[in-house]
Amino acid sequence: MSSNEDPKPKDVTEVAHASSPSPPGGGAYLLLFFIIGLALSMVVGWAVFPKALYSKKSQPFDFNHKMHLEQVDESCESCHLFRADGTFSGSPRLAQCVGCHEEVLGESEDEAIFVEQYVAQEREVPWLIYARQPDCVFFSHAAHVKGAKLDCAVCHGPTETTESLKPYEENRITGYSRDIWGHSISGLKHNTWDRMKMDDCAACHETAGIHDSSVQTGRDACFVCHK
Amino acid sequence: MKEAQTKHRPKRFGMAIDLDKCTGCGACMVACFSENNVPFREDESDKRRSITWMKVYKITNGEKFPHTEVCYIPRPCQHCAGQHEGHSPCVSVCPATATDYSRETGIVSQIYTRCFGCRYCMGACPYHARYFNWWDPIWPKGMERYLSPNVSPRMRGIVEKCSFCFHRYQLARNKAFNDGRREVEEKEYQTACTQACPAGAITFGDLNNPAHAVHQIVRPNLHEEHNAAGIPIVGKAQNPHAFRLLERLGTNTKIYYLSSREWVRKAGDNYQVQMESDPHAADASGH
Amino acid sequence: MKLSRRCFLSFVAGGAAGTALSPLPWKLTDDLSIWSQNWPWTPVPPDGEGTYTLSTCTLCPGGCGISVRKIDDRAIKIEGAKGHPLNDGGVCILGLSGLQLLYGPTRIQAPMKRVGDRGQGRWQTISWKQAIAEVAGKLKEIRDQGAPQSVACIAPKDVGTVAQLLSRLLSAYGSPNFLRMPSVEDAYEAAIYLTQGATGAAGVDVENADFILSFGSAILDGYGSPVRMFKANSKMKELHGTVVQVESRLSNTAAKADQWLAVKPGSEADLAMAMANVIISQVAFDQDFIANKVDGFEAFARMVQDKYAPETVAQKTGIDSETISKIALQFAAARKPLALCGKGKGQTPGSLKEALAIHALNALVGNINRSGGVQALAAYDYINWPDIETDSVAAAGLQKMRLDGAGSDSLPHVRYLTHRLANIADGVQALLVAETNPCHSLPDTQAVKAAFDKIPFVVSFSSFMDETAMNADLILPNHIYLERFEDVPVTAGVARPTVGLCRPIVNPLYNTQHLGDSIMQIAKALGGTIAGAFPWEDYETCLKMTLRDQWGTLAKKGVWMAPNATRTGFETAPGKFVMMNDDMGAIYMADDVALQGGDDAYPLVLIPYDSIRLASRYIGDTPFMVKTVSDTVIKGQHGFVDINPETAKRLGLADGQLAKLTTPVGEATVGVHFEYGIMPGVVAMPRGLGHTAYDAFLAGKGVNVNQLIGPVEDPASGLDAAWGIGAKLA
Repeated sequence: MSSNEDPKPKDVTEVAHASSPSPPGGGAYLLLFFIIGLALSMVVGWAVFPKALYSKKSQPFDFNHKMHLEQVDESCESCHLFRADGTFSGSPRLAQCVGCHEEVLGESEDEAIFVEQYVAQEREVPWLIYARQPDCVFFSHAAHVKGAKLDCAVCHGPTETTESLKPYEENRITGYSRDIWGHSISGLKHNTWDRMKMDDCAACHETAGIHDSSVQTGRDACFVCHK
Repeated sequence: MKEAQTKHRPKRFGMAIDLDKCTGCGACMVACFSENNVPFREDESDKRRSITWMKVYKITNGEKFPHTEVCYIPRPCQHCAGQHEGHSPCVSVCPATATDYSRETGIVSQIYTRCFGCRYCMGACPYHARYFNWWDPIWPKGMERYLSPNVSPRMRGIVEKCSFCFHRYQLARNKAFNDGRREVEEKEYQTACTQACPAGAITFGDLNNPAHAVHQIVRPNLHEEHNAAGIPIVGKAQNPHAFRLLERLGTNTKIYYLSSREWVRKAGDNYQVQMESDPHAADASGH
Repeated sequence: MKLSRRCFLSFVAGGAAGTALSPLPWKLTDDLSIWSQNWPWTPVPPDGEGTYTLSTCTLCPGGCGISVRKIDDRAIKIEGAKGHPLNDGGVCILGLSGLQLLYGPTRIQAPMKRVGDRGQGRWQTISWKQAIAEVAGKLKEIRDQGAPQSVACIAPKDVGTVAQLLSRLLSAYGSPNFLRMPSVEDAYEAAIYLTQGATGAAGVDVENADFILSFGSAILDGYGSPVRMFKANSKMKELHGTVVQVESRLSNTAAKADQWLAVKPGSEADLAMAMANVIISQVAFDQDFIANKVDGFEAFARMVQDKYAPETVAQKTGIDSETISKIALQFAAARKPLALCGKGKGQTPGSLKEALAIHALNALVGNINRSGGVQALAAYDYINWPDIETDSVAAAGLQKMRLDGAGSDSLPHVRYLTHRLANIADGVQALLVAETNPCHSLPDTQAVKAAFDKIPFVVSFSSFMDETAMNADLILPNHIYLERFEDVPVTAGVARPTVGLCRPIVNPLYNTQHLGDSIMQIAKALGGTIAGAFPWEDYETCLKMTLRDQWGTLAKKGVWMAPNATRTGFETAPGKFVMMNDDMGAIYMADDVALQGGDDAYPLVLIPYDSIRLASRYIGDTPFMVKTVSDTVIKGQHGFVDINPETAKRLGLADGQLAKLTTPVGEATVGVHFEYGIMPGVVAMPRGLGHTAYDAFLAGKGVNVNQLIGPVEDPASGLDAAWGIGAKLA
C-alpha cells in the first residue's frame, strides 16, 4: 500500500481504511458482536419473553385449601365432586359453599369479601381456572380418578397443602393459564403436575401395547380426548 | 391385567336402518343438528352447500303413475372400515391426521382442530357424507344459548361429518367409570338419531356383540370374504333383507339397511338407481 | 467507533442463534397456533351441570311428552320422554327444533302497540299495565255501547284451562263468539253427535288395529298425534298388519302403505259408500253389532245399494270395481279393522257426508267403542269451576246468535264455522287471537286480510311475530311452552283421555306474560261480574286448584291417562248407533261439495298436501326444519308444485321451470316439479309455506296455498269442505 511513499495528508478515513483490512482484533469484534447478539437474545428469550408473555391476574379473593381440608371428610371429592351421571363438577359453585358460609365463619378478609360480595348478592364467584383447556379437549375425571385411580396431585399438584391460591398468570396470546405450558418457559418439567399440554397426557396414552387403537397414529383414538 | 385395546374383542359400532319403517320425516336429521351444534343459514336450498350430517335421500322405482314407489334412505356417515380394518377412504387420504379410525370401536372420528380444509376426504368419500364449512357459522343473537358443550362448534374452513355421537360414548364411559365398571351397556350409548326416530326405524349398537339388537337383526359375517372382483368384504349381512350402500366398493361400512322391496336393495348398490334430482344441480345427489 | 456492516450482521446472527436456543420461537409458534384456533366469534358453549326435565310439547295438537336436557340454566336438547303413553321416547322434527323457537329471533320480547298503519311492522314497546289497560278499556267501551256480542275470539282449541279461561271471559263479558280454528274435529264431532248422541272427540285405537283404511289421513305426515301414529305404523309392519291409503298423491303415507288407492280427489265419500255397499251385499258386516246395536241399518243399506254400486262409482273415483270389492271385503274380514277420516293432518273439516260415510264403515264392521276401533271419548271434565254470574249486559249479549251461524236452526250439528270470518267481520268490533295464526292458516288469505281490515281492534297474544300479529293493534305476548305451566288435554284422536303437563324448563327470557294471567288481569280490570268470574289470584293458582288430585301424578310423570278407554253406551233416542234417520238422510242426499273453478277455464285441479317437515298451524317452520326441505319443494325463495310429467309435457312445461299458477281465488309464481306419484291433471302444493312474517329463515319462501284456495261450504253442514280448486298453470 502507500505506507512507503511520500505521506499525503493523512485524513481520518484513510487511517480508518488503513486499519480495516486486517485490524488488530477485527475477527474478535465480529465474535464480540456475535456474542453480544447471542447473549442479548438469550436474555430476551429466557427472561424478558416470559415476563412479557404472561400477565398477572388476581383471583376474586384468596382461598385456603389446607384449612378447608381439615374441615371435611372426603378430601378433594368433598367439594370437587362427581355427579351421578359421572361428570365432574369442577370448581365448586356457590350452592356448595353456602352450606357452611351462609354467614361469615372466621375472621379473614377474604371470607368477608366472599360472603358480602358473592353469597349475599347470589353471584357466582368468577374463579380463574388454572387447568382450563381449549374447547377441543374432552377430559374424563371419572376415567382417571375412578378408573386409573390417579391421585389428584398427579395432575394438579399438592394443592391440599397450600394455604393460599397460587398466582394466576394468563398467556396474553392464547388466554390460557401459565400452568398449561408449565411455569418453566423451557417446557421442561420435574413433577408430573408441572404441565398440562397434550404431550403430557400422551405420556400415558401412548404407552405401547395398551392404548393402540388408532389406525393413523398407533396410539389412542383421537376422539378419546377430543370433541 | 392391562391388555392392548385391540387385543380383547373390539367393539364395532353400527346401525341397522329399517327402510320399511322409515317414513322420511326428517326427525333424525334435526335430532343430529340439535345434538351436534350443526349450523344453518338463511337459504339452505343449495344442497351442495347445506350441512346435513344425517341426510334423508328419496329414491323412486321410476315407474309411472299409479305404480310409482318411493323409498327414503337416511344416510349418516357410513363409518367405513375400508379394507384391512381402518383404511376408510377418508382416513387414507387425510394429510393432516384430522380423521382417524379407532380399531377399538370402529368409529371414524373427525377432529376439527387438526383439519385445515383441503377437502381431500370429501373427494374420497363415496357417500357424500362429509360437509365443508364454507363460511363461519352464525347463530342469530341469543340462539347460541342452545349449543351443547359436548360437541365443539366449528369455524370456517373445516370439514365435519356424522360422528356416531362419540361424545355420548365418552359420557357413557364417564358414568361407567363413576359406577365402578368399564363396559358401557347397549342402552347407555345410543346416537341422537336412533333415539329420536319416531318410527323406531334405526337400531344402533355393537355389531360384534351377539347380545346387541343390531347384531341380531343384521347377523353380520365377521370373517373376510372376497367378492367377484376380488375385493375383500367384511361384515356381509346374513339377513337377506339387509344390504349396504355401494357394498361392491369394499368400503365395509357399518350402516345396514333393511328393505323387503327388491328394487330398493338393488338400488343400494347402483344396479338400478333413480335419484330424485334437481335438474339444475351438477350432481345427482338429490333430496 | 462505528458499527460496521459485518459486525451488525454478526450481531444479528448471534441474535438469531440465541433466539433459536431460547424457547421464544417455539413457544410463540405454539401460542400463535392456539390463538388461531380460538377466534372470539366461534362460540364456546360453557359446560355445567346436566339435568333433564319432563314436559309436554304443545307445538301441534299431538301432546307428546318431552324430556328437555339443560346445562345449568340453558336448554340444549329436546328429546322424547321414554315411557310416555303417546310417544314413548320418540319425537318429531318440529318438537326437536323447539329450542330454535325459544331462543330464536322471531320472539316478541315485550307488549307492543302498533305505530303507523297495520302491516307496516312499526311497534312501540309498552308496559304490561298499559297493555292490559288498553285492552280492558276498549272492551269496556264496546260493552257500554251495549254490544258485547261484537267481541270475538279465535283459538286453536276449546279444551284446557287456557281455552276455557278465554271462553269464560267471553261468556262473562257477554259474547257467544268463541271461534275454534277449523279441523276435521268439526266434522267428526257432528258425525258422532248424530250417530251416537255423544258430545266429545273421536279417538282412534290405532295401536290395536290390524287393518287401517285411511281416507287421505296423513298417518306419516302429521295426522293426529304424529309420533303415536308413526309408532302404530311401525308396529303394523312388525305384526304384518295392513294399511290402505286412499289418496290422489303418493304421499309418504301412501308410499309406506301396503296398498295405495289412487283416488280422484273429492270422491272419497263415494268410495266409502261403495265399500259399504260391497260389505252389505256380501253380508260381510258384523251381524251381531248390526242386529243389536244399530238403528236404521235397512234404510242405510237401501241407500248405498241404490246409489253406490262399485261399478257406478268406479268412473267417479278412478278405482275399478274389483279393487273396491277386494279392499272392502279385506277390511271387513280383518280382525280389528279401522277406517280413518280427515285428509292430511286434518286441518280442514271436510264434508259431513264423508265423515258419516267413513264412520258408517266403522260401524258396519262393529268397531265402535271397541279395542282397535273408534272411540267416542267423553269431553274432558276435570275443569270444574263455579258457574259464571252474568249481569244483564252479558245475558243480553249471550242471547244473540253466533256471528258465524253455527248451531242455528239451519246448521244445528256444528259448533264452529270459523272460516266464515270474512263474512262476519262487519259484526266484529274487537278480535282476540291466541295461539293461532288465522291470517296464514285460514283459507282465502286475501279475504281474511280484508276481514281483519274491517275489524277496528285486534289483539294478538302471539309469542312470535307472525302474520296475525303483524295485523294486530296490540300484542300481549304469551310465554312459549318451554317457559310456562299449562294443562294439555289431547284431542288428536287419542284412544283414551290423556292430559299432559306442560312445565317451564327455563325462566321466561323476555318480558312476556302467561296468557292465563293476561286474561285474568283483563277480566279484573273490567270489574263487576266479569272480574267475579275469575276468583283466582293468578294462573298458576288456578291451574293447581283445577287439577287438584291429578296435580301429583302430573307433576311427577308429566302425563295422566284415564284408565277407562271408552264410552260404552249410545245416547241417542233409540239408545243405539244411528246409521240412518231423516236428518242423516238429508245429509247423505245433499249435493257433493262443489269444486270452485271446475270448468274449462281451469283445466287442472290444485290440491293442498301436508308434510311433516312443513309446520302449517300456529307455529311456522324452524330453520332446522326448513333445512330438511328438499330442493324440489323450495329452491331459493320459490316453492314448487308437484305435477305428473304427462300433464306437464302436455302443457309445455319443463321440469324445474317457473310458471304462473292461477285459481279463481288467487295466483302465484311457482316452480314445476315432475312427480310420477301424482294423478295426471292434478297439481299439489304443500301447506305451511308462503309466510310473509317471521324471519329471513322462513319468510318469503314458497307460496301459501291458502292464497289460492278458498273455503267451499259443505251444503249439509256449512263446514269448509274444500278439497281442492280448479287451476291453470302456464
